[in-house]
Amino acid sequence: MQSKRCTLVVAMIAFIFFSFTSVLVFAQDVPKSIKIGASISLTGRFAAGGIDVADGYKLAVKHINDNGGILVKQFNKKIPVELVIYDDESDPSKTVTRLEKLNAEKVVAYLGEFASDMNIAGLGIAEKNKVPWVGVTIAVENVFNQGFKYVFGPNMFSFMEVAAFLDALDAIPKAQRPTKIANFELQVDWGKECTKYLQKYAKERGYTIALEKKFAPDTKDFSSMILAAKSAGCDAVFAVPTPPQSMALIKQMKELDYAPKATCFVRGPDLSNFWQVMGKDANYIMTSGEWTPDMPYPGNKKLVADYRAQYPNKLMGMPVGNGYSAFQVLADAISRADKLDRESIRQALTTTNIVTVKGKVTFDKRGVGNVPHVLAQWQNGKLVIIVSPDYKPAPVLVATPWSKRK
Amino acid sequence: MAERKKGFVVAAVVVIALALVPLVVAREYVFSILCMIFLYVTLSQSWNILGGYTGQINVGQAAFFGIGALAARLLWVAGVPFYLSILAGGLSSVILAIIIGLPALKLRGHYFAIGTLAVASIAQITVGNILPGISFLPAQHMATYSLIPRYYVFLIIMVTALAAVYITVNSRIGLGMEATRDDEEAAQMVGVNTFKYKMIAFLISSFFAGLAGGGFAYFNASYYWYLPFTLMWCFEPILIVFIGGVGSFIGPIIGSVCYVLLKELFALTLGEANLLIFGIVFILTILFFPKGIIGLPAKLRQLFRRRGNVVGR
Repeated sequence: MQSKRCTLVVAMIAFIFFSFTSVLVFAQDVPKSIKIGASISLTGRFAAGGIDVADGYKLAVKHINDNGGILVKQFNKKIPVELVIYDDESDPSKTVTRLEKLNAEKVVAYLGEFASDMNIAGLGIAEKNKVPWVGVTIAVENVFNQGFKYVFGPNMFSFMEVAAFLDALDAIPKAQRPTKIANFELQVDWGKECTKYLQKYAKERGYTIALEKKFAPDTKDFSSMILAAKSAGCDAVFAVPTPPQSMALIKQMKELDYAPKATCFVRGPDLSNFWQVMGKDANYIMTSGEWTPDMPYPGNKKLVADYRAQYPNKLMGMPVGNGYSAFQVLADAISRADKLDRESIRQALTTTNIVTVKGKVTFDKRGVGNVPHVLAQWQNGKLVIIVSPDYKPAPVLVATPWSKRK
Repeated sequence: MAERKKGFVVAAVVVIALALVPLVVAREYVFSILCMIFLYVTLSQSWNILGGYTGQINVGQAAFFGIGALAARLLWVAGVPFYLSILAGGLSSVILAIIIGLPALKLRGHYFAIGTLAVASIAQITVGNILPGISFLPAQHMATYSLIPRYYVFLIIMVTALAAVYITVNSRIGLGMEATRDDEEAAQMVGVNTFKYKMIAFLISSFFAGLAGGGFAYFNASYYWYLPFTLMWCFEPILIVFIGGVGSFIGPIIGSVCYVLLKELFALTLGEANLLIFGIVFILTILFFPKGIIGLPAKLRQLFRRRGNVVGR
C-alpha cells in the first residue's frame, strides 16, 4: 500500500515537473521570423558584384521559405527567414553604420558582401558586436590570423587558388607542360599572399618562378612586365589582377605577341560577361571556378533554373552561386544550433560540414573555409572546370600562339 | 551683441545635450550615425575655412584626412594613448600642409585645386603601395571596443573645430581671409598679406582634417590602410558645404546633418534607387538654392515678397 502511495507521489511530482517544464517551453515566444542581415553594395562601383551576391541570398531565402523556413531546435518548429539587406553604396564607412543598424534590429547573423573594402570594415564590426559573419568572397587568409571568433569564410583562399593553378599545370601532358612561371604580383595583401604560396608550392612541385614583377591596383600599362616575361622564356603566367586589368593584360599580351602555354588570372575572367567583352581572345585563359552553373552538386540545377526564370536577361555570375552557398552554410548552422541566438549559431558554424551548391564546406579553427580547389578555363565561349577534387574535369587546353588562333 | 549671446547659449545647450546622449540612449546605431555626423561636420568645416572663407579650393582634403588617420593609427596601435595619437594625427597633417602650402598657395585659381588633387592622388597611390594590407585592431583593443568613447572623441573634435573656425573668422584674421577670397589683388594692393592668411587658413583646415582622420582611425575596427586616402574624402566635404551653404558658419553643420541623415534614410528605404534619388535632390538643391540650405529662408522670403507684389498690383 505504502509503495503504491509512494509511486503515486512520484508520478504526481513527475507530472507536475513535466507540466511545468512544458509550460516553460511553450511560454518561450516563438519568433515570427529568423532575422539575418547584410550590408551590400547595391549602388556604386561594386554594385555589379553586390547585386549578384544579393540575388544569391534572396534565392536561398526563397527556397528555404518555400519549405516553411529553417527548423529551429529550440522551438522544434520551422521558422521563416527574414533577410534584411541595406545598401552600403560601395562605401566602407556606410558598411559600419548599416551593420550597427542591423545589430540594433537584433539580427542573429550577418552575411558578407562582394568587395574586400566593405568586408574588411564589416568583419571588425561583427567581431565587436559578437554577431556571426559568413563571408562570400574574402580570399585573404591573413584576415583569419587575427584571432577573430565570429568570422567565417566559406570560399577559396589565396593558397587554394595557387594550388589549383599548379594542379592545372600538372594535368597537362609532360611534353607540353610549362615549367617556367612568371608571377605578376598585384600590390595588395591578396597578391602578396599568392606570391608567398606560389613560391612555396612551385618549389615543392618542381616549377621555376623565372620572373616576378609587381604592379599597383591602378596600373594600366603592363608592356614592360610582359616583355620581361617573354624574354625570360616564361611559358606560364599567374596573377590576381582587378577585372579591368585582366582585360588590359590579355590585350597587351596579344599586341606584344606573347602567348604562354598557360595564363591564369584569378579575378576578371571569372565574370560572366568576360567572353562578351574579350571575344575569342579569352580562349585558354584560366580563372577561379569556385562556382559555375554546371556544377553537379545538389541544389545547383534548381538554383540555376530559378535564377534564369527570374532574371531571363541577366548573365549568371559566380557571386550568385557563392552567395547562395554562403546562405546554405548559415541556414545549416542555424538548424544545428541549440538556441536561436548569436553565440549558439557561432558555435554551430565551427562544426559546419555541409555540401552546398559549390561543394563541401567545413571550417578550420580560424574560420577559414575548406572548400573544393577548383579552376576553370575559357574554352570556345564556355567557362569549363579543369580542376576539381570531386568530379572528372575537362582536359586543360594548352594555349596556341596568337598567329595560329582562328 | 544680444544675437551673438543668444547664439552662444543655444550652442552651449546643444553641446550639453549631445554630451548627455549616451546617458539616455543605449543603441549603438544612434552613436554610429552621430559619430558620422560629427566627423562630416569637422571635415566640411575644415574645408569651409579654406574654400568658403578664403576662396582657396582644396580638392585634396583626403591627403590631410588620410595622413592624420595613418599617424594616429600607427601610434595608437604601437601603444601611445589614443588622445595623443589623434593629436599627433592633426599635427602630422599640419606638417604636410606646410610642405605643400608653401609652394602651392602661391598658385592661383584652378592651379591650387589641381595641385591639391594631385597631392591626394599621389598620397593614395603611395600608401596603397607601401601598405597594401589591412589595419586590424589588436585583440586587447578589440575586446574592449565601445562606441561611447569614440562618440565623445568625435564630439570633442567637432566642438573644438567649430570653436576654432568661429573665433578665426570673427577676428582680424577672418577679415583678411575674406578680403583674400573677395579680391586677392585688391587686398594685396591695400597691404593685406594674402599669402599669410591663405597659409593660416590652410594650416587650421589641415589640422582639423587630420584630427578627423585620427578620429576615423580610432573609430574603425578594421580597414585597408589606403581607405582614408581615397578620393571620396576629397569630394564629400565639398558636397556637404555646397548643400549647407558655402562660406557660412552654420552651412557645413546643416549640410552634414542633412547629408548623413538623408543618405541613411534613402539607403534604408529606397534600396537600389537611393543614390539616384539623392543625386536628384542634390541637383535640385544646387539649381534652386545656390546658396545652399542656409539660403533657403531668404529665397522663400523673396518668393513671397514677389507674390505679394503681384497680388498688390
